Amino acid sequence: MARVKAKVSAAQKLTGYVILAVLGLITAGLLLQQSRFNPAVNAARRAPLLKAAAPATPGGAPAATAAFLPEVEGFTPLGPVESYGPETLSDKIDGKAELYLSAGFKEMSCRSFALGAPGGEHVDVFLYDMDTPPNAYAVFSGQRRPGSPAGSLTAHAYATANALFFTQGRFYVEIVADRASEKLQVSLAAYAEELLAKLPSEGAAKDEAALFPQEGLAPDSVRLSATDAFGLEGLNNVLTGEYDLKDGKATAFIAVRETPEQARAEARRYLEFLAANGYRQVQTPGGPGDMPVLVLDNSFEAVFVEGRTLAGVHDATSPAAALQLAANLRAKLKEKP
Amino acid sequence: MTKPTDEEQIRMLAGELNRRDFLKRLGYASALALGAGGLGLALYDTKGPTVSKGRKALTGLGDFRLKGPAPGSAKMAIVRGADRGAMFERGIKALGGMEAFIRQGDRVLVKVNAAFATPASLGATTHPDLLAAVAGLCFKAGAAQVLVTDNPINNPDSCFGTSGLAEAARAAGARIIAPRAALFVPVSLPEGQLLQNWPVMAGAFQGVTKVIVVSPVKDHQRAGASMTLKNLYGFLGGRRNVFHQDINGIITELAQLLKPTLCVLDGTVSMMTNGPTGGSLSDLKETGTLVVSTDPVAADAVGVELLGRTLADVPYIRMAEKAGAGLADYRGLNPAVLDTKT
Repeated sequence: MARVKAKVSAAQKLTGYVILAVLGLITAGLLLQQSRFNPAVNAARRAPLLKAAAPATPGGAPAATAAFLPEVEGFTPLGPVESYGPETLSDKIDGKAELYLSAGFKEMSCRSFALGAPGGEHVDVFLYDMDTPPNAYAVFSGQRRPGSPAGSLTAHAYATANALFFTQGRFYVEIVADRASEKLQVSLAAYAEELLAKLPSEGAAKDEAALFPQEGLAPDSVRLSATDAFGLEGLNNVLTGEYDLKDGKATAFIAVRETPEQARAEARRYLEFLAANGYRQVQTPGGPGDMPVLVLDNSFEAVFVEGRTLAGVHDATSPAAALQLAANLRAKLKEKP
Repeated sequence: MTKPTDEEQIRMLAGELNRRDFLKRLGYASALALGAGGLGLALYDTKGPTVSKGRKALTGLGDFRLKGPAPGSAKMAIVRGADRGAMFERGIKALGGMEAFIRQGDRVLVKVNAAFATPASLGATTHPDLLAAVAGLCFKAGAAQVLVTDNPINNPDSCFGTSGLAEAARAAGARIIAPRAALFVPVSLPEGQLLQNWPVMAGAFQGVTKVIVVSPVKDHQRAGASMTLKNLYGFLGGRRNVFHQDINGIITELAQLLKPTLCVLDGTVSMMTNGPTGGSLSDLKETGTLVVSTDPVAADAVGVELLGRTLADVPYIRMAEKAGAGLADYRGLNPAVLDTKT
């Protein structure tokens, strides 16, 4: 039986050729564009060059911290609340971002205000969610301005001539004005009170300074290094306190671990790190046998383990200061229930 | 025309769908699919794009240094005082006057540090008084246009506005060039490890004949210090925070990317701690020094001393010197040391 072919009209053929030609042109265009493809330029176009505000994560939900920033009488907003997440924090605070990111930063919201009449004081409020209270304490203590009086706002608070800094639970707050005055301090404190009223309560704050022996401890010198303490990668969550003793200056350190084995392993790693950096062990007649003392360029280190706590002395100016502080620190740690 | 009979319709249908035609069409379709897939595979670049071949990346932002500095003039001036405008005037005079650097009709680009939307009193940005002094002397020397720029990433309008730089520029007759996508082009530094095909704000340099970098002296959490060389970071676009992992490396490469005509480093008040943002007035210290220099590395070496640090604390300065960007031992330039009070 003869096969009958489907008939194709001239118009159908023409349409087909036109479609093929268009597809060909699209292919050629794509190939041309592909040959010029430049990821760097695309990155620039993706960059948030002119945005006024952003969610904490690109394309994500608005930051939870934004809702905690109150509108307070006398504080005229100069713009909307801005929020930043780990990916965008450096857009706002540039190189300072690493300090927060290494300490477990989650998100930040901030807002600018004018106080009073136009041309009055400029005030910026920054609210950081650091995920945990220790993380918040790490960024608070790491930036503590020496000599600034402790404030009464929270357990961890201080004021400088133009600003307030404090933590509340997992939150770290900066309220910064562009000038200094007593009247201004009253306004900043009023804002802080309203902000604190909106922040969730997370129980009493830990008194980190109470972990250290008090004799010779410089006020407000206790700090928490969230990561890479003393330059040793992975030596995390280390509390330090600075001392001025009769035999010299020194820094005590405490790092609580989950088990005594972990503390001992970390002590060994720290000693190896010191040795690799040129420290050598020195004899300390009369000193405890389980507490090696090392020296480099008249800087003395002592390391020991008490239970599940890695502890010791860093950068002491004399072996006597190192041993004295280490003995005081060990005695203090033994007091712990 | 007669309508096909049922039988004819069945035949036509049977003709189109007979076994031979079906297999033939299946063969064509398979060949086409295989061809398209093969072409895609052949064109697939497993290594990803590199520097565009058809559109070459720039290799730098230019060398704007004077070829022959005024004879007998210093290459660097360190001026003590408190009035930024007066200090700059004294400093530039020691280098042969602004006329030695800016000629009639010059189009001058002033790179400021406008990284943050903070008031000038907090010292995180170039001080507007200094910008006004620099722009004013440029015009006085005959500049046809003074352009002021930075890429603060976050809300440039707010950064230029709150810092007072926008108003200072406007009052001096200068024009702010705010970053926008069209200004960024890919730049690859020859032998560069980091700056390869990276978007840089080269569009701001169109028609520019002179470049002046005006920077504050600041502590920097990551780099140790933020001064002249770190200020050049503000020309970068894209997700430039990736460079924070090798901050010394990127600043060294930036030092090779641009050779400015003049550098003005403002240590009248320096940010000693908690940089680069600061926040508390207690982070600042009156260090009473302004550096005017043709050498950015030497200028930064002075700045390091104002911060009470050594070159070992700020590694990129030695690295930039090694890369040929200037002299870290600034005393080798025999700087003119001046005081506006005398």
